Amino acid sequence: MVDPGFALLTFCGLCVLLLVLLWSKVGLLARWQRSSRLRERVLLEDTLKHVFVSRQDGVVCSVDSIAGRLEISAARAARLLSRLVQIELIRMGSDGPVLTQNGNQSAVRIVRTHRLWEKYLADRTGVPASEWHEKAEKMEHALSSEETDALEMRLGYPSWDPHGDPIPDSAGEIPPSTGIGLDQVESDCVAEVVHLEDEPREIYDGLLKDGFTLGGRIEVISCGERGIRVSASGREWTVDPVSAQNVSVRKLGKGESVEPKWRTLLDAQLGEGTRVVGISQACQGMQRRRLLDLGIVRGAEIIPEFVSASGDPVAYKIRGAIIALRSQQASLIRIERPTESQNSEVIG
Amino acid sequence: MTAVVASGCAGCSQHRVDSLVRLGLNPNKWDFLIALAGNPNVGKSTVFNSLTGLRQHTGNWPGKTIARAEGAFAYESKRMKVVDLPGTYSLQAGSADEEVARDFILFGRPDVTVVVVDATRLERNLNLVLQILDISDRVVVYLNLMDEAKRHGIGIDVAALERQLGVPVVSGVARENIGVDELVSAAFHVASGAEPTRPFRVEHFEDHIEETVLSVAQHVSSVFPHVPTSRWVALRLLNADDAVIEVVRSGELGRLGDTPDGSERLMPTLAEREHLLSTARRKRWELPTDFHDKIAERIYAVAQQVSEATQLKGLRRAGFDLDRVLDGLLTSRWLGFPLMLAILAAVFWITIEGANVPSALLANLLIDTVHPRLIEIGELVGLPWWLSGFLFDGIYLATAWVVAVMLPPMAIFFPVFTLLEDFGYLPRVAFNLDAMFRSVGAHGKQALTMCMGFGCNAAGVVATRVIDSPRERLIAIITNNFSLCNGRWPTQILIATIFIGALAPEQLAGVVSAAAVVAVAVFGIIVMFAASWMLSQTVLRGEATSFSLELPPYRPPRILQTLYTSVIDRTLVVLWRAVVFAVPAGAVIWLVSNIHIGDSSLAEHAVVSLQPLGFLIGLNGVILLAYIVAIPANEIVIPTVLMLTVLTVEMAGAGSGDGVMFELSNVGETGELLRAGGWTLLTAVNLMLFSLLHNPCSTTIYTIYRETRSKAWTLLATFLPLAIGVIVCFLVTQLWRLVSL
Repeated sequence: MVDPGFALLTFCGLCVLLLVLLWSKVGLLARWQRSSRLRERVLLEDTLKHVFVSRQDGVVCSVDSIAGRLEISAARAARLLSRLVQIELIRMGSDGPVLTQNGNQSAVRIVRTHRLWEKYLADRTGVPASEWHEKAEKMEHALSSEETDALEMRLGYPSWDPHGDPIPDSAGEIPPSTGIGLDQVESDCVAEVVHLEDEPREIYDGLLKDGFTLGGRIEVISCGERGIRVSASGREWTVDPVSAQNVSVRKLGKGESVEPKWRTLLDAQLGEGTRVVGISQACQGMQRRRLLDLGIVRGAEIIPEFVSASGDPVAYKIRGAIIALRSQQASLIRIERPTESQNSEVIG
Repeated sequence: MTAVVASGCAGCSQHRVDSLVRLGLNPNKWDFLIALAGNPNVGKSTVFNSLTGLRQHTGNWPGKTIARAEGAFAYESKRMKVVDLPGTYSLQAGSADEEVARDFILFGRPDVTVVVVDATRLERNLNLVLQILDISDRVVVYLNLMDEAKRHGIGIDVAALERQLGVPVVSGVARENIGVDELVSAAFHVASGAEPTRPFRVEHFEDHIEETVLSVAQHVSSVFPHVPTSRWVALRLLNADDAVIEVVRSGELGRLGDTPDGSERLMPTLAEREHLLSTARRKRWELPTDFHDKIAERIYAVAQQVSEATQLKGLRRAGFDLDRVLDGLLTSRWLGFPLMLAILAAVFWITIEGANVPSALLANLLIDTVHPRLIEIGELVGLPWWLSGFLFDGIYLATAWVVAVMLPPMAIFFPVFTLLEDFGYLPRVAFNLDAMFRSVGAHGKQALTMCMGFGCNAAGVVATRVIDSPRERLIAIITNNFSLCNGRWPTQILIATIFIGALAPEQLAGVVSAAAVVAVAVFGIIVMFAASWMLSQTVLRGEATSFSLELPPYRPPRILQTLYTSVIDRTLVVLWRAVVFAVPAGAVIWLVSNIHIGDSSLAEHAVVSLQPLGFLIGLNGVILLAYIVAIPANEIVIPTVLMLTVLTVEMAGAGSGDGVMFELSNVGETGELLRAGGWTLLTAVNLMLFSLLHNPCSTTIYTIYRETRSKAWTLLATFLPLAIGVIVCFLVTQLWRLVSL
């Protein structure tokens, strides 16, 4: 008979071993996956993409920026560049690497796949916004151009990815991108967010948390050296200059105003009938279509009827039927404010 | 170069044979095809049953795990075929259900589409009606649940509705067969072309959108001249609808129209079709981003208009809203959960108590009576001992056991459960438990599949079809095994009575053993939550998607109807699958006990070699071998264990021979036999845990494979519970031994 103490210790040992191997991101398996990603072709494509995007954005591109972006050594970055020059995808210009005709084509193809995949994730899956870029980084090397074309068709030939970046079409054409950096906007104006830069990841996550959404409106209150003060959805906050560079906006005319904090379905009281004003843009894909199909369109009457035994979801009466919605969904449905019930015109 | 395609005469289904065959139908067997569409919960299946009676069968839509009911009836010496489409809220093709319904109406081109509408929810239902009217001319509306409408003080001017919609509208109460005859007659007249309809089409969107839609519609008409629904096609193209784009690209859209004089049709060239698609694409970029919203708004605005024009509200109504009172009770913060537990406990109690007698009777019949007869016949006919043993002691006995133990509880549990479903209570359960399930990354409806799993895991797996999101559905499928199914209750009860009840004083013994079984079941639920959480953090990551749950009104269940469908659809199907798997199991059990290598049977060799592993996890070789050969069904574990114990311990006078499973009617004797086989309290506890946690039975594994169509997930669903079971038993055993040293 095996000594129970010994058996238990062995078992714990095995568990620890498995953890070390499999713990996501830190474990050995994850490290091995990452290092196999650093295969030559993938690195070359990433370099091409970096050069392309830097040129597009008008940002400096150099061996160091490549090394930083790809998380490799400067020596390795230099080797990659010389390989690319060798296969005539890049030539070294006076202010850094420049894409050749072929290089441009390759880079556009990768960017296209990347952005289409992000659009797919945003529209057709429930993957959270903070993970789109990461996943697309992997997929961009995996799809062939036929597969990319098929994906584009399935998504309905979108022009913009969920960050607001233009998606090149199969011929390599890019719709013109509009917008100026938030750091370049003067104070006291209203603007619409047209682009949120997805790298570096930490800044992007911070922007999302602050409350920036693509297509959302903000009011720029003041800009100074320490940051830009903005207001949106009834809240005010300060954006530091570095993060502000990653937000592109389109100035709106004088007459336009920022939408007031929307009253959402969460604010409705039980038994209180209210009218729907619209569904927030943050709700997309299947979720949005299902809500529309159930009759939650502008002008629809909706009444919270009763609450679940655990507090969430809540049952609402819509078009004669009782539909249960979670609080997360209810927070995306905008309803009229009591004073607006006479006014049928709605801002936004 | 244009290709010429011959067309057939209008009103006849022969000329769309291809599409129909693709949809799994044989057009030679009927004269007219009726499609039945409608929102969920409108009583569509009641209408279907009224039309087809017993002449129906359920299958699946080709290539999908969505159930399809088909039936037939005769009318004026014509054969009418009825296909029940999945209940959908719209035809936007967002989910698989909507795709199936839309494709059937568009490509299958039924001779008439009957839309069943809930008279108490006219506005919402009109959304679907208006969309169907966009695709097809031949529509009949059946206004169901008029009695409920009356109860709520809603009256509907049917003639006015008919005028507004431009198609025949029949009102009635399907449950009481009111209005069904008129429906059949109206459907027949529309299908045969005797009554042409002038369906209402939703038009006049906002200026800019209307312009764009018109121009694309014109373009569609010029490329495909005979397609009657060019406006609808234009809308779908502008909405980037994959299926419609494909149909335009391939040219198949051209087959959908009828030429006015039945003459031949010209098909457009590839260039023309591609040009149409690229024009539509360009126009799409010019549309506002909330284009889809605006379309939905417009359709609903029309629906509201029509319903307001035809509804007469505020008639005298019943003063007491029973529904709200019931909801108040069943979802209340204090009473909701206790009531839920009470109802579930009642269902289980009814099942266990109700199944006792029938199970005993069946066992008596099949095992005590028929089995010896079969052996006699075998001797009479002169069958060699091994053939008689193989067939009667092995195969027949295993099958008989499975049927005797499985059939009665299932025949009670499923109907009772279905009655609860029909009544409308089950969605309230999902409503109450959704928050709990969401916190572990699953969906509220998993509560329902979990409950179903207590009846039979295979049925629980099939029940996961109600969960839309594939990720959440997989979580529900993989963790369903942790619901203690009917087949395992006898094992649990027996072992608890022998070993755990024995620890308590005589009067409390029954209560203590029952409590032990309940504790095991509750532990199973806890493991289910833990496993769901684990899965949603690792291999099934992702956020919750598009939750929506309709809480239908409470309706008196149709008892006979339910009994019939739940027996045919659920019980017999599962039973049949179980029998199919029990046959080889019985064969293996008998063979393993009677094939000798050296001087002991295979079974004895296996028991000896499995013993070390068994001991490590607190079981023994006999139990492990029993579980290996009883993969097919949990019901035969105890009989096999007893048979193997007798085999290895070589007790004289016990059992009926090698390879013959048996059970003792006396619990005390069973206990003695097991203790003679070396069983202790620890063994018993581990057996109860292992029985809860081990791999699913083969019926369930097969069902999982059918539903997921993926070997990888099936393997995970099979081995994850086994791994958890082994680990849990191991830990319990070692800790127990450590503590008792």
